[in-house]
Amino acid sequence: MSVTIRTKQATYEIPCEAGERVLYAALRAAVPMPFECASGTCGTCKARVKTGQVTELWPEAPGRSYLKPERGEILMCQCALAGEGDLEILVPGAAPSPPEPTPAHREGVLTAGERLTHDVARFSVDLDAPIDFSPGQFVLLQIPALEGYRAYSMVNHAEGPTRLEFVVKQKPGGGFSRWLFDAEAGQTPVGIFGPLGRATFSAAENKDVLCIAGGSGVAGMMSILTAASGADYFARHRGRVFFGVRTLNDVFFRRELADLVERAGPNLQVTIALSEQEAPAGDGAIRFATGFVHQVAGEAMAGRYEGSIAYVAGPPPMVDGAIRLLIIEGRLPASDIRYDKFG
Amino acid sequence: MTWKRACAADEVAVDSLKKFSVDGVELVIANLGGEFRAIPPACPHMEEQLEQSGICAGGVLTCTKHLWQWDLRTGEQRGPAEKPLLMYEVRCEGNDVMVRIDEELAYEYGSEDDDDFEW
Repeated sequence: MSVTIRTKQATYEIPCEAGERVLYAALRAAVPMPFECASGTCGTCKARVKTGQVTELWPEAPGRSYLKPERGEILMCQCALAGEGDLEILVPGAAPSPPEPTPAHREGVLTAGERLTHDVARFSVDLDAPIDFSPGQFVLLQIPALEGYRAYSMVNHAEGPTRLEFVVKQKPGGGFSRWLFDAEAGQTPVGIFGPLGRATFSAAENKDVLCIAGGSGVAGMMSILTAASGADYFARHRGRVFFGVRTLNDVFFRRELADLVERAGPNLQVTIALSEQEAPAGDGAIRFATGFVHQVAGEAMAGRYEGSIAYVAGPPPMVDGAIRLLIIEGRLPASDIRYDKFG
Repeated sequence: MTWKRACAADEVAVDSLKKFSVDGVELVIANLGGEFRAIPPACPHMEEQLEQSGICAGGVLTCTKHLWQWDLRTGEQRGPAEKPLLMYEVRCEGNDVMVRIDEELAYEYGSEDDDDFEW
């Protein structure tokens, strides 16, 4: 089966598997597509069906609030080709260059890992073949017990690893986290699509690195810091990391962050911001501060933004606060602010 | 030509945006620091309400949804933005910000014509 996709620039005819999401079919064919979350929330991949039928896979997707259904608008990440007929889709949005490396469907085996705090746990996925991804990227995971895909940023980074490491925060009503926390210890086959995401780091950036993360948003930062450290990036550039959680009991990756600081030397500074508890004294490798992470970052960074590239991830209000800080106080150009929009 | 009062100059702080309804026409007033601009209330990209999603700083408007940016002095797009801002003419009379509204300005987010990609 195939789908015809028309953008402002070109027309593409791409193969599409039965039941496959149109966006994923386009991305794995390296077609430039507008998208951010690829999981139904941001609305960026909206398009219009010109001819043919699609199956709506998630009629309640939050991103559908951006659509005008009476015009035949769809979210490409939440629609699959229906039936045998031809499908022609018009894509209005800006289509940046296709993601690198080209994403693909993969199979893997998920293993639940240790709890890091009362509501954060590790998990990993073993693949049958190595995967290349850029530090800061995410993949979409599909587990048999739940409908749809969920996006998780990789924590690790290596050349062509066969294991991907993740963290998940338990959320009220969060189907995946409840499944993972409740699941009998064991191994579960999962579907994977990726890698995706443009909030990536390359050692060729030649800029200082500023990371502002809240909660499990630190996952992608760990991947970036691991890659930067492996390239000895902090011998020549500064790295400033601000990691926000509520209390000391919510801190995780403290040892891993301290190891990164130890390896990098004085150019890498890590500050953990506690929003609901008085900050304790630091331990040499890690500093502590009291306040919301973007406020703590704002105080520490005043007058020091120039020449930085900023990475932001976390809960939407924190991301919004950090973006405002980076634009208003930091005066950073949009091209030097990197985050993947999930809301 | 119809000049209408949108707001008092001191209702919109420097480097901020505020939405007003002027004779039924919704628009956002931006204060660039004594200079004002009047634009439609929604981002030309995905119709985000700029009063919430927009940041006005140093004469640049940024929509935080996808970091589209514009020079508020001219309306020209910057960086990843693909469309310029539409702007109403503005002048100050005493403490009043006056806006010239001949017709409501709106972006083309879609077209009824299937072959028209300007949507």
